[in-house]
Amino acid sequence: MIIDINAYIGHWPFRQLRHNTTDGLLGLMDENGIDKAMVSSINAIFYRNSQSGNDELSDWTKDHRDRFIPFATLNPKYAGWKDDLKRCYEEYGMTGIRMFPYYHNYKLYQDEGLELVEFVTEMDMPISIPIRLEDRRQRHWLDSVNDLPLSDIELAIRACPEASFMILNGRGFEGSNLFREESLKNKNFVIDISRLSVVLQREIPKLIELAGVSKIAFGTGIPFNYPNPALLKAQILDVPEQDKESLLWRNALEMICN
Amino acid sequence: MKIDCHGHVNGKKQNWGWDNNDKLIDAADKLGIDKLCCSIPITSGMPKPDECKLCNDDVLDCMKRYPYRILGYCFVNPGYAKESIIEIERCVIKHGMMGIKLYNQFKCSDPIVYPVVEKAIELNIPILEHAGYITDPEQASSQPNLSHAGDFAILAEKYPESILIEAHIGGGGDWEWGIKTLRHSPNVYLDTSGSVIDEGIIEMAVRELGAERLLFGTDMTMEGGVGKVLGAKITESQRESIFWKNMQTILDKKRI
Repeated sequence: MIIDINAYIGHWPFRQLRHNTTDGLLGLMDENGIDKAMVSSINAIFYRNSQSGNDELSDWTKDHRDRFIPFATLNPKYAGWKDDLKRCYEEYGMTGIRMFPYYHNYKLYQDEGLELVEFVTEMDMPISIPIRLEDRRQRHWLDSVNDLPLSDIELAIRACPEASFMILNGRGFEGSNLFREESLKNKNFVIDISRLSVVLQREIPKLIELAGVSKIAFGTGIPFNYPNPALLKAQILDVPEQDKESLLWRNALEMICN
Repeated sequence: MKIDCHGHVNGKKQNWGWDNNDKLIDAADKLGIDKLCCSIPITSGMPKPDECKLCNDDVLDCMKRYPYRILGYCFVNPGYAKESIIEIERCVIKHGMMGIKLYNQFKCSDPIVYPVVEKAIELNIPILEHAGYITDPEQASSQPNLSHAGDFAILAEKYPESILIEAHIGGGGDWEWGIKTLRHSPNVYLDTSGSVIDEGIIEMAVRELGAERLLFGTDMTMEGGVGKVLGAKITESQRESIFWKNMQTILDKKRI
């Protein structure tokens, strides 16, 4: 089984995406043997009221809950987010959230950001955090958002040690305290493999050596990215079958079943 | 069969993030890459001819150590025209390198580059130049002489017989802009390398330029380089052209 922890549905304002509808994403998953995907709404990032995007996402995924695990997009600087979270959880069955601190203009580790982190942690829900959605070198002239520093996540974990994070589209973990400091690497987080390598720079094998395979999960970034690079990495990664299963689906599942 | 048109090997002074060039061969083996066309460019400042020569010597060592697997580009700084020509003759004619590598010391449309281009035409070998249309002002400012597709189009029009390869469509900036800008420059090839694995990038390039103008490359993003070509919704014949046939055709053109 393969669970992709890094997937989206919706419209990206700065480049035409294909496969970004329910059927499109399902088709891409089918073609590539991806059984389930944790998805959030791209629209919800850009709507002033993110909840409208969550409402859409619920509608788009409700007939395919065997394939999609919808995550709510929450903006802690906007009115009514606690009610929205409750609705996403209780009515829509969303078992995790995604946060976009730089798009929504707050710090993950303080004030409103930290309040949301603490609130969902109380609810035993994981927080999915994309470090970036696009490479900055190709940014649209209206998109001035920078990559989220890993140190922001580190600070959030220090501020809320019980929080569960799924870190997407990140790299540079080898030098990060997340993988260097014992007190941090034992916390509850996973990173996805979408920007990490198995061969040559060997980031994934090195991170497994540093902190164990429980920290690594399968993620592609579809429909922004081709899924094939991540699939290739999983294929050529030389680890015991049990570890590969952990990476391909078990670690992801454990994040939402805690 | 796969020929990586844009690779790098470690040298004595340049380390790209792995400890030993055996790792590159191991990576190529795992991903089914038969040959890697490699260089060691100096990526900042204005390297002197002696510095370029040391890099090229390291590439030549790798060509000897991994025959049939590592092919070499000769890296030069076109600011030193006479020395660059001598170095190209040494590396290509005497030692069997297959092409010329230029970095960001000068835009490729700068007349200072013309003697190098004319030498490449004489030998009928490709020039692979670092490139990108970077839209983020902060990042763009760090490479003021970075060539973009418009610069390639100018050079290609002046020298229609040249074989130009614009580096890494996925490695630097707005690739849609780059692809559209090269529509009318048939002697410019695009290499598919770079860390950007945006879905649709290969399909758009095939649609706008034709599969015959695309060359598979990694630029050290090994899984991404192979994966984006594998994932593209193109015909198997087009995929094969991109993976190796187009590059083999270029390699076969060398006049020596």
